[in-house]
Amino acid sequence: MSAAVTIDNVVKDYGPVRVLHGLQLDIREGEFVSLLGPSGCGKSTLLYCVAGLEQISSGRILFDGRDMAALGSRERNIALVFQDYALYPHMTVRENIAFPLRRLKVDRKTIEGQVAWAAETLGLAALLERMPSDLSGGQRQRVAVGRAIVRNPAALLMDEPLSNLDAALRVHMRTEIKRLASDLGLTVLFVTHDQEEAMVMSDRIAVLSQGHLQQFAAPMDVYRNPANRFVAEFIGSPKMNLLPSPDRADILLGLRPHDLTPAGPQDGEDAFSLAGTIALIEPAGPQYFLDVLVGGQLVRATASEIDNLSNGSEVRLSAPAHRVYRFDVATGDAL
Amino acid sequence: MIADETHKQETHKQTDSRPRRRFWSRGPRPPLFAYLAVSPTLVFVALIVGMPLVYSVWLAVHKANPITRKNTFVGLDNFRFVLSETSFWNAFGRTAHFVGFSLVGTTILGIAIALVLHEPFRGRGFMRSVMLVPWAMAPVSIGVLWSFIYAGDIGTLNGLLHDLGLGFLATAWLGDGNRALNLVALTHVWNQTPLTALMVLAGLQSMPASLHKAAMLDGAGPVTRFFRITLPWLKPTLLFVSIIATINALMAFDIIWIMTRGGPGEATTVFAWLGYVYSFQFLRFGEGAAMLYLLTGLSFLMAVFYVLVLGPRRSRHQAIPAATALDDDVAVRSPRPYSIKVPPTREPLVSPALRAVLARLGFRALVLTIFLWSALPVMLLILMSITPASDLIRVPPSAIPSALTFDNFRAVLFPEGGTTSVQAKRVPLSLLNSLIVGAVSVAIALAVTPFAGYVFARWPRARLFQGGLWSMLFTRMTPALTLVLPFFVIYRTLGLIDTHIGLVIAHLSILLPLIAWMMKSTFEGVPKSLDSAARIDGCSHMQMMLRVLLPVIRPGLMAAAIFGFLVSWNEFLFAVILTSTPDAQTIPVVLSGFLAQARFHEYGPMFAASVLSVLPPVVVAFVFQRYLVEGALSGAVKG
Repeated sequence: MSAAVTIDNVVKDYGPVRVLHGLQLDIREGEFVSLLGPSGCGKSTLLYCVAGLEQISSGRILFDGRDMAALGSRERNIALVFQDYALYPHMTVRENIAFPLRRLKVDRKTIEGQVAWAAETLGLAALLERMPSDLSGGQRQRVAVGRAIVRNPAALLMDEPLSNLDAALRVHMRTEIKRLASDLGLTVLFVTHDQEEAMVMSDRIAVLSQGHLQQFAAPMDVYRNPANRFVAEFIGSPKMNLLPSPDRADILLGLRPHDLTPAGPQDGEDAFSLAGTIALIEPAGPQYFLDVLVGGQLVRATASEIDNLSNGSEVRLSAPAHRVYRFDVATGDAL
Repeated sequence: MIADETHKQETHKQTDSRPRRRFWSRGPRPPLFAYLAVSPTLVFVALIVGMPLVYSVWLAVHKANPITRKNTFVGLDNFRFVLSETSFWNAFGRTAHFVGFSLVGTTILGIAIALVLHEPFRGRGFMRSVMLVPWAMAPVSIGVLWSFIYAGDIGTLNGLLHDLGLGFLATAWLGDGNRALNLVALTHVWNQTPLTALMVLAGLQSMPASLHKAAMLDGAGPVTRFFRITLPWLKPTLLFVSIIATINALMAFDIIWIMTRGGPGEATTVFAWLGYVYSFQFLRFGEGAAMLYLLTGLSFLMAVFYVLVLGPRRSRHQAIPAATALDDDVAVRSPRPYSIKVPPTREPLVSPALRAVLARLGFRALVLTIFLWSALPVMLLILMSITPASDLIRVPPSAIPSALTFDNFRAVLFPEGGTTSVQAKRVPLSLLNSLIVGAVSVAIALAVTPFAGYVFARWPRARLFQGGLWSMLFTRMTPALTLVLPFFVIYRTLGLIDTHIGLVIAHLSILLPLIAWMMKSTFEGVPKSLDSAARIDGCSHMQMMLRVLLPVIRPGLMAAAIFGFLVSWNEFLFAVILTSTPDAQTIPVVLSGFLAQARFHEYGPMFAASVLSVLPPVVVAFVFQRYLVEGALSGAVKG
């Protein structure tokens, strides 16, 4: 059965370079957790440390309270889906999926049953005798997942598994994987740099930057209550606008484009408002994005209608007061 | 308007040429430029490889009377005669022994060395260079070195044994037949292992790191991973390596010439040597040629055999189901049928820290072993070259010199200083000859083959080019001995014996196919869009080559130049047969001359000359290691 994974003050150094700075994460059994951050933030390194492929410099990694320090990756009962899938090119789909069970010296009947189940679960039954080179990207991805779930791993680790798929398939697979994980009650650590992917899939998101944990919370929490400027800017698309505060020099105001709309008569007294000139209007389907020049700075806003607006026209933008974020200029912390 | 026209052209093309194209040729029709670019290489190869081959086929079906110089057509009699000879079948057995020994030796050692040198460690680049040295050296120099190491009375090995107080073990190592065959094969292994290692190394580098990580997580230990992951991954490389190693072993000639000349008795008379004996000692050209063609056929059969055994594995499914199950979502999942129990983990016997220390020590030992295996014989050679000549013939022998001296180098570099050795006087000129022949051959090859390589890479499916490419590959399977006989006969009539130009042409017969092949691989790595960009920016085909593509492949040209020069510098067979006076003799020929007419005081100069002969290859191995690896990647492999 899946395990709870505790990452306790984990530090990782590559020579003189510290890539993980004392990370602290408590992941519950059966929880889907995304490790989110820009490339080079240490998220894959953390994943490899959990898998035992990299040795941690200090701290502890515990599965269900048991310290993994003395165990190699072979003994940790971890499954990992790689970005490039790492299918064994000389084995058929069946042999690929059966490989971890063979290593556990499981009897043949059990292997057959488990492989058949994994193939059925993932819709791979027709492809079992194919070689990986004969499969499409999406099919390879499924085989990699099949190889991971065929035994009961203590945790399923996924290292940007969707990044090599085309956009439509990526959206399809993320619901698939999410559903599969909850059906099987798997503890999942999912590495990604795509904030939308992390938002949609996870129970909780751990946002990492330069080896530091920025925030570890549920998706909407991370979106609505960002712990600091980095999280606020990284989560949400288009990016949050950051403006100098009109009254205090040590504070930055943050406004999400989706909260900032052309002012209407229904705006309350306490609404935050701005005046500027429209520089560009981008239609984006359900709404329009407006690039508005406010005192020499471009601010992004959204509008559902643009009847009275055109390039160069003056516009007043407003946002509800509780959707205005404040950050300390020096530390970047949310206030 | 313009769009309209292109559209029209396209539909026109489709309706017009599609059915015909499928029938006649595969892929787009090459432009005239392609034919012009490829023709110099193909014409050259046809002239200097094709013609001699045709002549040797003619020889193989004729019987030559050396006295009346009359040739009579005998059909397949020569083949029948050869196949009925016991000496042929004895040589066949020895060849099988030699090839088997070499193949097993080079493969196991080559894989081991590659595995070690694939790991990251400090000094890895240096170790890769050291590892390459035995392969970069000329087989003649290797023969000289090892035959002295194994020599009876005064050999280095016996000297070492005496020094260690084990003098009773000393023996004439090459005196016993079976042992001699094994020792020659071992020397061949020493020479050829780096080639295998180099190619396996390239194969390992192309293996995605995630593969091993995945296997580790799936519970596979190091041994399982080697056999289940690494070896299967290397299969295509090993297929190629086995073919090359087998051909090289079948054709091994220079080493045998230097070390044993087929002896003692006939103990080391393998096919290639027997063919040489028939052709050039018995002057039975017909039988000799027949024998060499049997050898070619054997190489070919072996290659086919390897492809069948090691060839790529296909999917077992026959018909591909049109629609795959990718899009049907599995609505209801059945529960896991079995719960897989993970065996309880044992506490490791040795602590991880201790294990890491042991592993590091073991690894250092392996690196040191590779260093000694590759470099020790070469260091011995250098030591012998600065040992007084009289030390080398001491009885009982000793490996420790009584003094160090540069007299030997003085003797071979400044013969006017009064050396009495005839052979030593020839060394400076032979070095110059080697340099000239090598440089000119490489220059000519590089002037024509990039164009051919470009065409082979860009239109791989056009029939004519495919044929050209395969015939070039085929020439690599024919022993140089097959070519040398026609060359000799033709040169004698044209008066090209003993000329630089004669040697250049002969060496081009090796270099052109080799470098054309390298160029093809290099151009395959250049994106086609670059061609289009150059053409759109207004270049003619020629300008596109000269201004854009050739500068882009400069590293590849560099690698080809180095390879080509080494091959020419080390080449022995053509050089020895096609020269009879020192005028055009290259350094390997002069080296072999030392052995033929050595008086005992000439060993010192001989080793000095050997050191000079291995100097360029060793320098190349060190300075251009990166290029050499690149060359190996592009499939250039000399014999």
